Amino acid sequence: MNLIENIKLAFASLKSNKMRALLTMLGIIIGVSSVIMINTLGSIMENSVTDTFDSQGGSNLIGFQITMKKDAARDYLMPDDFISEEMIESVEQRFADDINVVSVMYGSENGTTRHKRETLDLVIYGVSPGYIKQSMTEVIAGRYINDKDIRKGGKVCAISNKQAIKLYGSVKDAIGQTLSIKMYGSMYDFTVVGVYEYRMTGMMSAMVNAMGEDWNNEVYIPYTTLSEMYGETDPTFYYFYVHINDGVDAESFASDVKNYMNNRYYRNNDSIEIFYQTAEAQMSMMSQVLGVVSMVISVIAGISLVVGGIGVMNIMLVSVTERTREIGVRKALGAPNSAIRSQFIIESIIICLIGGLIGIIFGVLLGNLIGIIVGTMASPSVGAILLAVSFSMAIGIFFGYYPANRAAKLDPIEALRYE
Amino acid sequence: MNRPIIDMKGIFKRFYIGTPNELEILHGLDISVPEGQFVSIVGASGSGKSTLMNIVGALDRQTEGKYVLDGIDVSKLDDTELSGIRNKKIGFVFQTFNLISRTSALKNVELPMLYAGVPAKERTKRAKELLEIVEMTDRASHMPNELSGGQKQRIAIARAMANDPAIILADEPTGALDSKTGRLVMDLFHKLHKEKGKTIVLITHNPELAEETDRIITLSDGRIISDRMTDKEAAE
Repeated sequence: MNLIENIKLAFASLKSNKMRALLTMLGIIIGVSSVIMINTLGSIMENSVTDTFDSQGGSNLIGFQITMKKDAARDYLMPDDFISEEMIESVEQRFADDINVVSVMYGSENGTTRHKRETLDLVIYGVSPGYIKQSMTEVIAGRYINDKDIRKGGKVCAISNKQAIKLYGSVKDAIGQTLSIKMYGSMYDFTVVGVYEYRMTGMMSAMVNAMGEDWNNEVYIPYTTLSEMYGETDPTFYYFYVHINDGVDAESFASDVKNYMNNRYYRNNDSIEIFYQTAEAQMSMMSQVLGVVSMVISVIAGISLVVGGIGVMNIMLVSVTERTREIGVRKALGAPNSAIRSQFIIESIIICLIGGLIGIIFGVLLGNLIGIIVGTMASPSVGAILLAVSFSMAIGIFFGYYPANRAAKLDPIEALRYE
Repeated sequence: MNRPIIDMKGIFKRFYIGTPNELEILHGLDISVPEGQFVSIVGASGSGKSTLMNIVGALDRQTEGKYVLDGIDVSKLDDTELSGIRNKKIGFVFQTFNLISRTSALKNVELPMLYAGVPAKERTKRAKELLEIVEMTDRASHMPNELSGGQKQRIAIARAMANDPAIILADEPTGALDSKTGRLVMDLFHKLHKEKGKTIVLITHNPELAEETDRIITLSDGRIISDRMTDKEAAE
């Protein structure tokens, strides 16, 4: 009795009881489709994290910030602990060959502007020209904050395309306009020098779209201008970012800069030092978190697969009982125990495999449905599909074995007598 | 006399061995059936007929004694070898037909060949030939539930012949049929016996049917109380 005959037999048996077969498969379908869906979602999330990462400058972006020393003498910050403009300038000079641009964000402030009879909420960011590289934005008209603006502490700003259209009718008309912003109870007039647009993909853009215009209310001004408003003549920073040139090794560059700054500026500081984090390190941390999340969900899906498997075993036991007489006849006609056993195991495997395949299709569809909403498509890994197929086969074998063995061991005389 | 196909000596069958309920059903039977004989085994219910049939059909083992089937000592075989014996040496015909449901007549006839490992093409060819012998060619693709009792039994007989067995073992083959279709089935057995020279063991409680066969073995209480050639045989 060969495999093909057994497979034909299994299909014939399933066909004769379609509804039951489908219901039996349901557990497997749900289990497999959730595993595949999770996997597809995982790929989608990873893609979008990678996209965000790339749009922020990818592996060329390194963040430097102050942190407490291990043997810190204090647990609070002093003005001298912060990173000064002078420090950043000296890093820029010292590592000029490696650095593409340095970006800082001095701070952000809430403000409002009047438009017709409406009050619009704004978030004002004090930034350096390099900040555009990591802000997932692109200038589509005019220009961004430049070095001259920084030196002068000019009252200039860059607004989003959506704001431009809302306030001035079009992106082009916005350039040169005056934007009056109310901050801290005072009015400040800014000249719009540029309009930017968000360049986001994946989940980020989905989130932005979902939140609507709230995300487009960011106004960029020179950090010097913002610090002046605060009354701080020498702005200091908690952190800054460096975009390095292509081909520069991020890790060794970052540790060189760290050592340089620590030796030069923080040697005598009793509590604070510079530490760095490359984008790659951030990225791998995020991936790890994603990995853990999908692992946990996969385990839950795995449990549902086992529950599905028990359902299969249950139905196989019913099927064996129902077909006791048939088993007796087959044995009388010369079927050895092994043939009966493989007949039922193969039937169970077929149930699980069909369930698994339907599950894979459902999983991919569901995953991508969410992908469409989020804006990134992804397919599950081949590994996940193979795993799902082999796991459902394994369930078929594992949960089919006991009923099949029971069928195989039936006494032919008893079985023939069974009504 | 032809060589014996069934050669049983001192067959005992006991159940519940070693318990207070121990029960001896067969009390040392000696039966020898030569090749080509059409023999009937008769007896009231509880006479041990079925138990004997199970042993003859290699579905069960005797507790004691020796059973040689077509030159093979069945007592020494394990389960898998016994299924091989059932497959190749014995053709079962049951009272309730026992066709596999939702499986066409042709596939039912093919079944024993499937377990014998006959290739698909050959299987189908032989199954068609067998359906022709039982005059059921036009029903080859029918499912058992689309057939009458007599038709089912003819398919079952074709199935029993599939691997050209040493004996056909028919257990009350006409028991579930009306007398007319029962007659047709009996005629078919006679045809197989005469034309193909088949050894047939017929288990029945109908004395008229038994009289049609070559020899009648009568069981009572697990013992052979009579073993005689019929008039028909004597007349020939």
